[in-house]
Amino acid sequence: MVAIDHIQKVSDTIWELPAIYKQGMRVPARIIATEKLVREMDEAVYQQISNVATLPGITRYALCMPDGHSGYGFPIGGVAAMDIHEGGVISPGGIGFDINCGMRLVITNLTLDDVQPRLKEIVDLLFQRVPAGVGSHGFLKLSRQEFREVVEGGARWCVERDYGWKEDLELTEENGCISGADAEKISDRAIDRGHNQIGTLGSGNHYLEVQVARSEDVRDKELAAKFGITIPNQVVVMFHCGSRGFGHQVATDYLQIFLKVMENKYGIKILDRELACAPFESPEGRAYFAAMKCGLNMSFANRQVILHRIREVFAEVFGRSAEDLGMRMIYDVAHNTAKLEKHTVDGKERTLLVHRKGATRAFGPGHNEVAAPYRDIGQPVIIGGSMETGSYLMVGVPGGTGTFFSTAHGSGRTMSRTKARKLWHGKHLQHNLEARGIYIRSTSWAGLAEEAGAAYKNIDEVIAATELAGISKPVVRFTPIGNVKG
Amino acid sequence: MTARTPITLITGPLGSGKTTLLRHILATHQAKMAIVMNEFGEIAIDAKIIEGKNVRIAELGGGCVCCSLLGEFEAAVNEIIETVAPETIIVETTGLAEPEALVFNIQDALPQCRLDGVISVIDADMLVRFPELGHTTRLQIEGADILLLNKIDLIKPEQTESLEAKLRDVNPGAPTVRTERCRVDPELLFGLGHVTKAARLPHKHQPEFESFTFVSEKRFLRDCFERFAESLSANVYRAKGFVRFKDGTQLFNFVTGRWDLEPFESAETQLVFIGKEITRLRSVIVDSLRKCEL
Repeated sequence: MVAIDHIQKVSDTIWELPAIYKQGMRVPARIIATEKLVREMDEAVYQQISNVATLPGITRYALCMPDGHSGYGFPIGGVAAMDIHEGGVISPGGIGFDINCGMRLVITNLTLDDVQPRLKEIVDLLFQRVPAGVGSHGFLKLSRQEFREVVEGGARWCVERDYGWKEDLELTEENGCISGADAEKISDRAIDRGHNQIGTLGSGNHYLEVQVARSEDVRDKELAAKFGITIPNQVVVMFHCGSRGFGHQVATDYLQIFLKVMENKYGIKILDRELACAPFESPEGRAYFAAMKCGLNMSFANRQVILHRIREVFAEVFGRSAEDLGMRMIYDVAHNTAKLEKHTVDGKERTLLVHRKGATRAFGPGHNEVAAPYRDIGQPVIIGGSMETGSYLMVGVPGGTGTFFSTAHGSGRTMSRTKARKLWHGKHLQHNLEARGIYIRSTSWAGLAEEAGAAYKNIDEVIAATELAGISKPVVRFTPIGNVKG
Repeated sequence: MTARTPITLITGPLGSGKTTLLRHILATHQAKMAIVMNEFGEIAIDAKIIEGKNVRIAELGGGCVCCSLLGEFEAAVNEIIETVAPETIIVETTGLAEPEALVFNIQDALPQCRLDGVISVIDADMLVRFPELGHTTRLQIEGADILLLNKIDLIKPEQTESLEAKLRDVNPGAPTVRTERCRVDPELLFGLGHVTKAARLPHKHQPEFESFTFVSEKRFLRDCFERFAESLSANVYRAKGFVRFKDGTQLFNFVTGRWDLEPFESAETQLVFIGKEITRLRSVIVDSLRKCEL
């Protein structure tokens, strides 16, 4: 049954597959996007999001954000809120293997004119200090015991050891350390894979970018000023990375456990085994939740150490301290998580486990989980575009209830990595970008080709769709000038 | 002249039998193998462990080793080749991995290696129980050169054909071998390690596969041979051996339509063909080859 023929238009930005579309659907599946973006999605996205709608405990809708594309089990861009008091499940495929893959944004008081002459020097040094590539090692040499402390202590562990400023913590989701992480719930193999990876970018779509906020790209001057973006052509640094091999191993370990108990012990029947899950309120579900939180903390720690290295590089190149260069962090957001949150559904407050896979939480102004400095303006949302186009800073809005306060996370792929590798050659791409004023360093030419701008949806269209849908509001668009690609 | 080290990838969803296949290969395939796997302990429990820079290596006896990655894949493979010099490398990917990225890395970033083939292990029972093919599972089937439809003992015999049709829909080019506990003739997976032993290809497990050998003392025209390789029947799953051209002998490797030649030292032309019902194609194949002789 071809899904596109069954999609119903609810509004200009809401497209629905009704619950009768497929046997077993408990709720309708909704794609939040413009008609153009919906039509550009592959058929697998419709199938995957309607499969998500069959999971026990799912509340209201299975949702897909405008940047959605197919992934393991859930589409990337998938959001599903499970009522834990109604047998709601937790599913690793709904979180992603790169647990707490996320974005961090830091500003400087430098302008394009200050940075341009030193750009190559900066990017080359960043490339050296922030290791990239599949199995790259960090400069932090941690014992396995210390690593256990990191996964329970998150970014706080790092700041206590002077890898960062105290204020960084209150500007990180969960203050950089989610409570309830339990290192007893992770395997030795996961520790083996993770303990030397703190401070590394990783491969694939992970990157570190030097960007410019051009005056004409400031969409909301007042909000931008609240974030400290006030100078014309101000330079910022944005980076995207996650929990590396560690998160991957945690997901692998628990998927195997869930596959064993899902049907035999809990009688859960699913259509696609990549959606393997367990009831949240079960020993297996709780254990994965505690292990997944270790992945969250590992990732916060990873981005904290990387921020420290970035500050060192800028300080070294400009011969001034990071404080003097105004290298204040704007925010750190996770986009591969499951969190327990209270949401009002049909007038009643319910405790929901909100899975966000390639989707960003976007609480509106006044929400008590928004970091104190931003509580009156809404939670910052950092959206990374492809390395050729641009990225955005947005904020959450009060009307985000329809998506459990979730929005897009990036541009979303339009083609497979293999296809991108066949279409472009990394080295040519690098020359092209250099000609356009973007200087790139990468560990892999093939990997660079995978990230070509045309392999992604148009970031401006994705952002416009989220604004039109009333789930987030753009503040500033950033243009890349330098990139270290994993 | 050393030939490039062949790399075989084993892929397939979680729990489909990849580790079981590795155990079976170790028990039945006579070669000096280096196995790269994620969960190292499953095969090398009491082995002596050597901590390398990019890999951790366990000796398995018989010249074989088991390795788990500590660093980057490319660096790890280079270290394995330098320290162990295996005849072949077998990589077990995790059930979550999409094989295409690794295939590309091998072809793009490891010039001293040759991709020998991608084996996907698919759990027949799972295929029956879960009606929808997952995104990653689909990519693992699409990327395969040979598909092992494993655990057929857990399903009803009449279900096997529809599962094979399902696999063929996703990947029409790859042959499917039905297995129980991954018991497969290793020569189907690796071609023939030693071509001279070709004549005794055992037929115990996979009666539907046949093989024959071609030998010639003449030299061959390269263009003609390349055209021959390009047009080889889809029934031929694997072909392997040496071909003497005017400017030297080449090692020929063919897996489901993908083939290459690389310099190798050998005095005569000797080729082995493996496939489904290829005995009846033998005369056609041999005739085409004879036409390329100088």
